[in-house]
Amino acid sequence: MTAAPKTGGAPAIDRAPFADFIVHEARLLDDRRFRDWMGLFAEDGTYWVPAVPNQKSPFDQASLFYDDRDLMKTRVDRLEHPRIHVQTPPSRTAHLVGNTLVEPADGAKDEYLVSSTVIMVEYREDRQRVFAGRQHHRLRRDGTGFRIVQKRVDLINCDSAFEAMAVPI
Amino acid sequence: MLDRTDEIGRLVEPGRVHRRVYTDPEIFELEMERLFGRAWLFVGHASQVPNPGDYITTELGRQPVIMTRHHDGSVRVLLNRCTHRGAKVANERCGHATRLVCLYHGWTFDTDGTLIGVPVPEGCAADFDKAGFGLARAPRTGEYRGFVFASLAAHGPSFEDHIGPMKGNIDDLVDRAPDGALAFDAGMHRYVYDGNWKLQVENVLDSYHVPFGHASTVNKEGVQFARREGDRKGAKVVEADQSKTASSWKDRRSYIVGNGHGWTSNTSLDDGKRSSAAFDDYKRVLVEKVGAERAEQILTPRLHNSLIYPNMSIMGLNIHVRVIKPISVDRTEVNIYPVRLVGAPAAMNFGNIRLLNVTHSAASFVQTDDLEAFARTQKGLRSHGTDWVDISRGLGAEEPDRALNATRELATHEMVVRAQYKAWAGYMREAA
Repeated sequence: MTAAPKTGGAPAIDRAPFADFIVHEARLLDDRRFRDWMGLFAEDGTYWVPAVPNQKSPFDQASLFYDDRDLMKTRVDRLEHPRIHVQTPPSRTAHLVGNTLVEPADGAKDEYLVSSTVIMVEYREDRQRVFAGRQHHRLRRDGTGFRIVQKRVDLINCDSAFEAMAVPI
Repeated sequence: MLDRTDEIGRLVEPGRVHRRVYTDPEIFELEMERLFGRAWLFVGHASQVPNPGDYITTELGRQPVIMTRHHDGSVRVLLNRCTHRGAKVANERCGHATRLVCLYHGWTFDTDGTLIGVPVPEGCAADFDKAGFGLARAPRTGEYRGFVFASLAAHGPSFEDHIGPMKGNIDDLVDRAPDGALAFDAGMHRYVYDGNWKLQVENVLDSYHVPFGHASTVNKEGVQFARREGDRKGAKVVEADQSKTASSWKDRRSYIVGNGHGWTSNTSLDDGKRSSAAFDDYKRVLVEKVGAERAEQILTPRLHNSLIYPNMSIMGLNIHVRVIKPISVDRTEVNIYPVRLVGAPAAMNFGNIRLLNVTHSAASFVQTDDLEAFARTQKGLRSHGTDWVDISRGLGAEEPDRALNATRELATHEMVVRAQYKAWAGYMREAA
């Protein structure tokens, strides 16, 4: 869990570049630039949406999404496929990201844990629905930017029964 | 009002069914009474309630039920409805309780349903007898290798009569566990769709749709992504020019054994080449437990999907157990349980769980296109332009398979759907 903001001691981390990065990431999803979105992930990066609250591990429990780069590529290839029926017509999404907190990752130099609140509204075929929750990005400094080591999205309704979900949150 | 028995008979013909079986709320009500109110239904797996006091809640048709492990070690199936004023007693999807206490007035039940406590007992009527107020029990229950079934009717075909022909299909899955047991302890996938429950039931044995419905899951060579731990690639589903169903896919078979049950044969994969650290380790453990010859049999897949009519299926490829829950005539929930092979190395079970996410979660590559197909079918069936749904592919081409004591046909044909409607009409024609 993210600690309360420090008021003294070590200099505070400048949150702006981190907040800008996760806003940029959300914008790529809203623009359906899925391949560019995948490119934000490190080669060892993963995208995880647990299926139960406080899920400890993606390995011994079902998840809504748990993609490494290989599976992410299959997902993106499919999202770009002309005959992906569940995206005919495509979803339109609007992400809102805020309440961002940043702290250094334990034990990993140049890695940071960024937690934020995410709301994604999705519209498709005359229906609109809302996904909301807390997202956790583990980011690695890469030159002047960042790469995503893990993006985890904890939806508040993660253990409910969902209609088909085609696009990442 | 539906002139029930006569009219039901007219909705199902040898090669077609009337669209009303998917769209008519009266038919749905009748299904809840005559089919889900009587048939042997899958409830849960004994491993979900390993210890006395453990319980899960679920639904049989629309009836809320609790499956408990009683302190004598037996698994019980109880109706989740307080016998006092009707509140649902257990409210969590799973939990542990030595007693089940109704939230409303505190009536307290033992884990076999017996009423053991009523607050302010001096207020009870003089002839009040607690023995008559236990939670209602499913009249009949049966269990095979941990799979718990119940019938909400006191009379009807026996558990053995109903499940017997499909025991081998359950064995096919359970025997893959080196310790010969499954654990349903890896969570579940839950999805819903705006469509009739039978659309999902029909789909699990439908091999005709795969090259078209799942076109977005195959690459330029017509090969699907790898779906099993240790596979380099998946099945060849369409020819490389994408215009035709691959011949290896067309050669697959489906089988029926009565009662609406059926299965499809395995998908042709490079089994000799299947290898990864996790798979090789699993194979080694299995060989140690059951011997090389038996391990080879177990690892040579025979089954793709098996349907235990009306509410459960087993997938042999991305191993899981699926439960179909009707909500209304045009709304259905489906639960998919990953199964852990007890005794298999953790990495093998992790691989199975991980690949099931991408094939069958609500956000998966495969299931989502099926959900779209179900919703569009339900919308299309509103049309009055054509009343009949065609299920005639392969009609008359069925042939006996004496070795399997089954009837066989090409998997891209519709024998299995016709068999489901034969069972459906059997339940539906007969007053409960």
